[in-house]
Amino acid sequence: MKIVVLVKEVPDMESKFKIIGDAKIDESQIAFKMNDFDEYAVEAALQLKEKFGGEVVILSSGPERVTKEVRQAFAMGADWGIHVSDPQIDEGDNYVVAGALVKAIESVGGVDLVLTGVQAEDDQAGLTGVFAADMLNFAHCTNVVKIEVGGDQKALTINRELEGGLNEVLEMAMPAVLTIQSGINQPRYPTLPGIMKAKKKRLDLKKAADLGISALGEAGSKTKFHKMYFPVSEHKAEIIQGDAKAAAKTLVDKLRNEAKVI
Amino acid sequence: MARILVIAEQRNGKLSEATLELCKAAKEIASGLGATPAAAVFFKDDSLAKEVANYIPEVFAVVDGKLGAYDADYYAQAVKAVVEGQDVKGVLIPHSYDGVDYAGKAALAIGAGIVSNCNKATVEGGAVVFTRNTYNGKIQEQKSVKTDKFVATFEKGAYDKEAAGGAGSVTAVAVSLGDSRRKIKEVIATMAGSVDISQAKVIVSGGRGTKEKDKYNDVIVNLAKKLGGEYAASRPVVDAGWTDAARQVGQSGKTVAPVLYVAAGISGAIQHVAGMKGSQCIVAINKDPEAPIFNIATYGIVGDLFEVIPAMMEALG
Repeated sequence: MKIVVLVKEVPDMESKFKIIGDAKIDESQIAFKMNDFDEYAVEAALQLKEKFGGEVVILSSGPERVTKEVRQAFAMGADWGIHVSDPQIDEGDNYVVAGALVKAIESVGGVDLVLTGVQAEDDQAGLTGVFAADMLNFAHCTNVVKIEVGGDQKALTINRELEGGLNEVLEMAMPAVLTIQSGINQPRYPTLPGIMKAKKKRLDLKKAADLGISALGEAGSKTKFHKMYFPVSEHKAEIIQGDAKAAAKTLVDKLRNEAKVI
Repeated sequence: MARILVIAEQRNGKLSEATLELCKAAKEIASGLGATPAAAVFFKDDSLAKEVANYIPEVFAVVDGKLGAYDADYYAQAVKAVVEGQDVKGVLIPHSYDGVDYAGKAALAIGAGIVSNCNKATVEGGAVVFTRNTYNGKIQEQKSVKTDKFVATFEKGAYDKEAAGGAGSVTAVAVSLGDSRRKIKEVIATMAGSVDISQAKVIVSGGRGTKEKDKYNDVIVNLAKKLGGEYAASRPVVDAGWTDAARQVGQSGKTVAPVLYVAAGISGAIQHVAGMKGSQCIVAINKDPEAPIFNIATYGIVGDLFEVIPAMMEALG
């Protein structure tokens, strides 16, 4: 089974964000990591490979530093990868990026499954997987919490998460794109031998021109970014000051005598 | 006149609340653009289309035996047929489990740009500008589309529910649906039969910030016991297996509205907030002063929950 996993690098969400010129976050003070949801997708792919054989290909688009996340997936056990690196793609919207990833998937050839996270923690759009499926003309399913592969390795039985603790159980044929929900598995930690091997694994670098991508940058995008800013809440909590001990004491007092809830 | 079209959502023949919220959104956006609000209802009969007509003046009903339950391929085909036949300028879809599953496909099918996971739309100079949460709710951004038509998905609660009252028209739209590549076998409950936290008066809930299973038990479970309430969790805690899925609060778990909800080490992502914002009094304990949970809490303590909660236990006596 040939599986491609789409991996995105995102900022650590506990970072202290600064916005530059209403347009972008200041990346100089930020630690980056693999998108949580994509980590579950990598693990899901590795488990399928362990059961059915084949290979796991990691595909990521972004600047040079995203190779750190690709190597992390290598260290977990993925076989090789493609780094799509072109500022013209990075400047595009979800449509441009998905289009570039699709070209890279097509360049792999014979792909049975494409896995990625349900959404990126930074953009929170949840579009890439669905776009990729449509552009590849693959079947797809989002919010996947369970994957079973049929005996012939062509059929899938999938649990799609629904509201309020329900799952829809679906059947579909491969090739398919599945967007993976958190909690589907427990992603493994890279081992030391894994980390050593990861350094030597094949990582192809592809520019937009290598992939024959036409929709690029802002011009190729279907959406336009206006600005970003910190939300102004109409309601802010009453922040209780003091060290932990004093604050806790005040809080308990307020819960008892002001809110009267305990 | 061009139309702003809500795609209705149903499960087991029951309309979702998000559908009624989008009826309100469609009216606002349409009024700003000089367009008319409308809805499309895809179902096995026209009963739901008639129901939606109570909320919006014009309803297009696509009736087909294949549309009893949601399906991505059928929905994308049906959206395309209605949009192309009915002079639709904008399509509004709930940012729900079903909506996320097909909105991107629908946008590509009609060649429109899509802005997903929006919480607001305003009309500025004849264009619709969408506001959306990014970076785990810490930063908002504004986007618009460059295409003639747009698709937007809206998070739950972005708009109030439209009240029933109108008597809209229902027009049947014939669509020849092709094939779907997915087949639904069944819908199963994954957290049945366990504890029911939704009845508790006091809930102490722990998030990622509780760090590990033993520590979660140590602080969250013990404080819940001390307060005579139930313990609960945000998704990452359940994902990591530190507590049962039946104790998960949020969009994919339980909706609760206790008298007191203590959120410790929970950042306050919209998916969690959707399940607890109706609580009477919310206490947030988090070491990140920018955590969105402080925007909805009654009282907040910026600090280390492993220091604050033991101090609370002591103060409770």
